[in-house]
Amino acid sequence: MIAALMAGSPAQAQDASAAGTAAPAPAVPFVRGGFDDKPYLHGIFGRIRVGGYLEADAFVEREEGATSEAGFELLRWNLLASTEVSSRVSVWSEVEFEDGGDEVTLELAQVDVRIVPLANLRGGILLSPLGRFNLAHDAPRNELPGRPLVATELIGVALSEPGFGLFGSKEWAASRRLTYEAYAVNGFRDGVILDSPDGTRVPAGKRNFEDENASPAIVGRVAVRARAGLEIGVSAHHGAYNLFQAEGVAIDERRDLTVAVGDLEFVTGPYRFVAEAATVRVDVPPGLIGTHASRQAGGYVEASRRFGERWIAAWPGASFAAAVRLEAVDFDRDLPGDSIARMSLGVNLRPSPESVIKAAWTRGRSRDRFDNAAQEAELRLSLATYF
Amino acid sequence: MPGRPTLVSRNAVAPWCIAVLLLGGCDALLTQAPDPGDVMDGAVDGLTAGERAAFAIGDAEFERPFAASEGLGPIFNNVSCASCHSGDGRGRPENGLTRFSMGGLPAPELGGPQVQDRAIPGATPEVAPAGADLSRRMPPAVFGMGFVEAIPDSSILGRADPNDGDGDGISGRPNLVTAPDFIPAHEPGGGPGPRIGRFGRKAQVSSLFEQVVTAYHQDMGITSDALPIENENPLAGSGAASADRVADPELPGTTVRNVVNYVRMLAAPAPGVETTERAHGRVVFDQIGCTGCHTPVQRTGSSPVAALSYREFTPYSDFLLHDMGDALADLRPDGAADGYEWRTAPLWGLRVAREFLRGQLFLMHDGRATSVDEAVRLHGGEAAAARDAYLALPANQRAAVLDFVESR
Repeated sequence: MIAALMAGSPAQAQDASAAGTAAPAPAVPFVRGGFDDKPYLHGIFGRIRVGGYLEADAFVEREEGATSEAGFELLRWNLLASTEVSSRVSVWSEVEFEDGGDEVTLELAQVDVRIVPLANLRGGILLSPLGRFNLAHDAPRNELPGRPLVATELIGVALSEPGFGLFGSKEWAASRRLTYEAYAVNGFRDGVILDSPDGTRVPAGKRNFEDENASPAIVGRVAVRARAGLEIGVSAHHGAYNLFQAEGVAIDERRDLTVAVGDLEFVTGPYRFVAEAATVRVDVPPGLIGTHASRQAGGYVEASRRFGERWIAAWPGASFAAAVRLEAVDFDRDLPGDSIARMSLGVNLRPSPESVIKAAWTRGRSRDRFDNAAQEAELRLSLATYF
Repeated sequence: MPGRPTLVSRNAVAPWCIAVLLLGGCDALLTQAPDPGDVMDGAVDGLTAGERAAFAIGDAEFERPFAASEGLGPIFNNVSCASCHSGDGRGRPENGLTRFSMGGLPAPELGGPQVQDRAIPGATPEVAPAGADLSRRMPPAVFGMGFVEAIPDSSILGRADPNDGDGDGISGRPNLVTAPDFIPAHEPGGGPGPRIGRFGRKAQVSSLFEQVVTAYHQDMGITSDALPIENENPLAGSGAASADRVADPELPGTTVRNVVNYVRMLAAPAPGVETTERAHGRVVFDQIGCTGCHTPVQRTGSSPVAALSYREFTPYSDFLLHDMGDALADLRPDGAADGYEWRTAPLWGLRVAREFLRGQLFLMHDGRATSVDEAVRLHGGEAAAARDAYLALPANQRAAVLDFVESR
């Protein structure tokens, strides 16, 4: 479906007469839907490309027969800007506004120096290559309104970190390609265990903009496009997350955090299948054993199908899609409970390739640390569009 | 011949209808509420709108876990009220805590009276000192406490028989305790002079307010207006003092009060339907002498919550201390209770308890009994006669008694 979306590339679909001259999309993006695969506008500010997307939702959440939350939210309003400084140097950036502007994040601000296809330099605030979804998570691309649990709860999408490293690709036959990214980054901080009341939570250790422990972490992903439409990736993030030394003096044990992710995307005809699975290992301080997990895992599979391209006569470019996602996250693999499992069913309408109106019903079951189950459900209507 | 242009093609109608049905669908799609009588976190009937609002606020606070960056620790046992009291009911052995004393004294200089076996980074968890008298305590159910609080002193004292004057072998007595100064005098169980202990395994606490404040302070390491100084491991080095960087008090007094009111207004789960066998079991339960301590009916007096005032309820407890014999003795005094005495445990919530404990049951103060039958067999001391009478029953009558108790 994304293939179909990209076949009529948003870049090409952009209203060129109103916004400038559309540039051709890359033949095969490094990551489909990634930072260099967006419908930028060209020609307004010289060589600077600009763009953005927004996501607005209406939702009702229910738990055990009671409405727990209901309302409207502008989940995010993101501004994109990039430029080719020279034939070998490019800059990419994304600023995200969330919660009505209460949270403003520089999600991406990176410089790429292209040397040879197999080895290029990248530095700045990078989208960590930890699972495919973290690299390509824009709401207008996704078929369902909510992000997968493994992405939000285990990995912390969007996970971006200051870092430096290499990326490259090697093609060995038509539509067969290997890509890699490998960076040294600041890594996570001790918020992983200190900041979340729910116990160990990797996302609570994000935003380590000044490396607290002066000990870089490493993150990398290798992806293989084995055939047209099929890409399989493996990635990992490893490093110390706690403050174990100060002024050269050891003040605590060094404790490491490792996240490993496997991902898959398969597009064939109108169908698209995506899946991602992650495991987390955390060295937990002895005093927190029993309340804070040292092992977590989760994953999702999602299938979608595009249909009804000509059903709305008045909207010639419109199409529908139906999607189903099954997912689960176990926040503590050493306990029977502390987990969530859920299923989402959704339909959406794309008036044009870069905009989407989504509706989804989610039904799930969460379990507390006693393994007591609570039934949960959600209805969500979402509008998302690039601009 | 070309047809008339339409906005939506006919093919699109069916999916839209399905979507509308799903989105506006029946309640089952959006989860259904459990039966109020089957849960342990429901409110008592008859609350005012304001009380229901307070209940909801307190419920959220009761559920709220604390992170180290929010004040948890420096030493603690668990991260929230709800993380020990499963569904507001009793806990599991792994959520229990250890109390200790040295020669009958609480030994604060050694970290007593409770072992905080967890600590945030930089602090040192406690371990029970060598030679201490240890008492493992299971988290009790917290529902029904408002009713217990509202029983008039005279009712509890009226059932006391400390010298076994009636010669039935049962000599219940109240645990008369002194309320800590931080309890407002207007709080039930507060004020100067001896107060009747009603809460805790040895009835060592007279006030719900004290129970909540000390649970925050001792179990979670959360300071409040009432106890604003951190509980620290006295045997840890001076470096541990800087582990908890959150300014004290970490919890405003309003939050404590919200949780007190929440616990006060928690209803006990409804007992099961009284079948013929259960009715027979209830009669036999009385005939063999269990009701000598497990008093079926109590009546409340005045309560801060009108819905709790002057109501009958069926806790099956006299809330007095009884010598339970050697098998259950922890040899650790608590207030006026000696090492053999325990408060009569209320018999309520047992019908649904297993649902919140992964199908298991953990009874008695330390959870060692995994069935009602096992619990009865552990009774000794003043309860020995009733226990022996139970053991002498024909199997079908024992089964009826167990069925009755488990339906509570």
